[in-house]
Amino acid sequence: MALSSEPLNRAGNIERKEPYIGPGETLDSINNKITDIVFTAPRDTPRGWFLGFGIAFLLLMVFLYAVTDLLIRGVGVWGINIPVAWAWDIINFVWWIGIGHAGTLISAILLLFAQDWRNSINRFAEAMTLFAVACAGLFPILHLGRPWFFYWLIPYPNTFGMWPQFRSALTWDVFAISTYALISLLFWLIGLVPDFAKMRDTTKNSMLKFIFGIASLGWRGSAKHWNRYEIAYILLAGLSTPLVVSVHSIISLDFAISVVPGWNPTIFPPYFVAGAVFAGFAMVLLLVIPIRHFYGLQNYITMKHIDNMCKIMLATGLVVVYGYIVELYIALYSGVEVELALIQNRVFGIHATSFWALIFFNGLAIQPLWFKSVRRNLPAIFIISISISIGMWLERFVIIVNSLSTDYLPSSWAPFYPTIYDVALYVGTLGLFFTLLFLFIRTLPMINIFEMQMLQHKTATGSSVVDSGVGEQAMEKLGDRH
Amino acid sequence: MSVPMYGLMAEFQSPEQLVHATEAAYKAGYRRMDAYSPFPIEEVSEAMHFHDDLLRRIVLVAAISGLITALVLQVLGSAIDYPLNIGGRPLLDWPAFIPITFELTILFSGFAAVISVVVLNGLPQPYHPVFNAPNFDRASIDRFFLCIEANDPKFERTATRTFLEGLHPMNVSEVDQ
Amino acid sequence: MVIDLNSCVGCNACVVACQSENNIPIVGKQQVSMGREMHWLRIDRYYGGDLDDPVMYRQPMACVHCEKAPCELVCPVAATVHDHEGLNVMVYNRCVGTKYCSNNCPYKVRRFNFLWYSDDVTPSYKLLRNPDVTVRSRGVMEKCTYCLQRIKDVQHQAAVEQRELEANEVVTACQQACPTNAIIFGDINNPESDVVQLKELPLNYAVLGELNVFPRTTYLAQVINPNPALRNDVGIEYSFEEHHGGHGGEESGGEGDNHSE
Repeated sequence: MALSSEPLNRAGNIERKEPYIGPGETLDSINNKITDIVFTAPRDTPRGWFLGFGIAFLLLMVFLYAVTDLLIRGVGVWGINIPVAWAWDIINFVWWIGIGHAGTLISAILLLFAQDWRNSINRFAEAMTLFAVACAGLFPILHLGRPWFFYWLIPYPNTFGMWPQFRSALTWDVFAISTYALISLLFWLIGLVPDFAKMRDTTKNSMLKFIFGIASLGWRGSAKHWNRYEIAYILLAGLSTPLVVSVHSIISLDFAISVVPGWNPTIFPPYFVAGAVFAGFAMVLLLVIPIRHFYGLQNYITMKHIDNMCKIMLATGLVVVYGYIVELYIALYSGVEVELALIQNRVFGIHATSFWALIFFNGLAIQPLWFKSVRRNLPAIFIISISISIGMWLERFVIIVNSLSTDYLPSSWAPFYPTIYDVALYVGTLGLFFTLLFLFIRTLPMINIFEMQMLQHKTATGSSVVDSGVGEQAMEKLGDRH
Repeated sequence: MSVPMYGLMAEFQSPEQLVHATEAAYKAGYRRMDAYSPFPIEEVSEAMHFHDDLLRRIVLVAAISGLITALVLQVLGSAIDYPLNIGGRPLLDWPAFIPITFELTILFSGFAAVISVVVLNGLPQPYHPVFNAPNFDRASIDRFFLCIEANDPKFERTATRTFLEGLHPMNVSEVDQ
Repeated sequence: MVIDLNSCVGCNACVVACQSENNIPIVGKQQVSMGREMHWLRIDRYYGGDLDDPVMYRQPMACVHCEKAPCELVCPVAATVHDHEGLNVMVYNRCVGTKYCSNNCPYKVRRFNFLWYSDDVTPSYKLLRNPDVTVRSRGVMEKCTYCLQRIKDVQHQAAVEQRELEANEVVTACQQACPTNAIIFGDINNPESDVVQLKELPLNYAVLGELNVFPRTTYLAQVINPNPALRNDVGIEYSFEEHHGGHGGEESGGEGDNHSE
């Protein structure tokens, strides 16, 4: 696009040191670059994709095996026992749902704050959210003694007049997770509609044109449609923001409403939400770093993006570490015998290794992120992100297993040892997640095209004619009403 | 003219031109028009003086109905339809009802927002006359279109064409119904 | 229910009686070593004193039927509720097996059918079972019912004879088997029943009473003569301070010893 006013606008834009989009991009080039990944003929699919998909698919078969065996024999195939009746099942559930939270944070909260840098990663992060929630949602069902009756947790009219027990945090979970999954799905789908229209108009293949034509619902980019679209999009973001906070708060209430020492600190809701964002950004980085490399997306996901994500990771990581310190301090300060015993067992007891590993992976390993040189060093970030993913898994292990294994009556104290089926189901859900992810990057535009085009236009012109993002515009629009 | 005309379509190269064109068209007295762009441009719908509050109202109604549904469901289920002594807690244990009430409010409003945007926009609509315009498949990529519709009271085939050509478009074309 | 720790000798007769009365499955060595024994009633042991010559304190522990039961609150399907007589009951066919109730039980008296423990297919086993008690399937939580089938049996008998239930008429399996009458069961609404009188004794206390769950089973604290001259006769070592340190009697003292030493 030739822009006659370019020199003038460049001058007005001088405070922007580093743009969120690489140089030399036009509206057309953005569209082509992103749609080309999808329009690549099947036989030209990169070999790496087949390799990755193959591995993920093998792990998915492990998942099927683990689930089949579980359904045939019962949850006793896991290592759970009577004091530790929840272990890897609920750890993995909380871990997956936590990972999902970064996607919603990027798509909703950063939209409300009009952060331009979300535009290139939101589609991808939302997909990650959906797949992580899919994995997470399996665990509460599979962990049931009689999983085929999971629908008893859902209120539906029946001849007995029986309803779920609305005081239980597990019933809250059913509502929180299904709402979260559905709203995330809607957010993702509504974001895809204009991009489907772009794909319909870009492709030369008549069958793809037909498929994307149906998927785009006949979207034609009308200004009136965009107007309603923006309002709906900002409303969804406004709804998702409290939703994302509420979901992990409710999950923390699974623990916090109980009487188990180590489960009931009142700090749990904010501490869990911070932990979720922390783990989620680690997973986004783990996925984005290889993908931008293999698909040459450095112009869209710049080092500035990665730098920003590292800063969020560091900030939320420090909140989480603060949570660990407060937990220990409050237990000591309370002087309650069971709390003191809990701390002693957590720090020096049979599962103490998990606690110290947690401090290392989540507390110490993130400290290099204070330095800009580390935040721009991809291998270092990759390793730190792996460390955080491990650390956040261990955090749930410490909370769930350590607390349960040593609660009130010492007569019932018992350690927990996982079995091969615990591991198989966890690895299996990794397979499910990555299988879905590989299919997604192959078949759908993994970067939001129209938002990138807006960003390009803004960056190129520095103009106020077109605002930075849907969010900013719609926020103004909502404001205009009053 | 065997096929009735839908309108006159002008193609522009930049969003700024589209905004100016739309403003000019509105000033010239045209009301039935629409602009087509690859990404949302706030100023265009403003230039057309297009306002629609319906979506916001629908979402508000949905939010309130979600809230009421959740409260009715929980009060009915735990206190009226099947009252049970659960851990010695009162039947109307309202603090425990907050999480589900919140979630259902969000769920209803989210669905309302998405369904309204689809329905109010008249989607799905696989065929629309504007798709007949030449080069219109670039409307979703890198071209900006303004269409003045034939049913506008002020629409007059040649005069409107002259008016649009005065706005320095890349080209102006007739769109068949 | 009241359990008199002065009388209890730790013979485990109650455990066996409970097992045979309530069709409790026997899970085998491997499952027990994984921490999945199914006993509804267990004898907790706490140790104190010198490591070479420890003192053992015994405490039979089963579901204490809390008035403000934490397990009921967390069940998402209302499979564990209070009945109109104040019992904390399990509804087996409503249970989906979240195991949340067990996690939230401070006494850890709930037992879970992790696998298919009750072989209800083999014909010869059918004669083994008490026909008045449900055989639990896989994936269901279970726990002490205060021998609900015996309570109902006595109530039906009284109804047939058109009379009121007598005080102390219901006898639970563990109570019946106890050689020292350490377990006493009765209606706490009937002032004539033994439990009401025992619960008024100064020795009566609730385990983990500080959690405000109001357990229905309470214990009579063990009283031991601290006179050193009697030490050899009793065969246990006793320290006066230890007993008056905590409010809960031997048990909390015993716990303290357990991890402070």
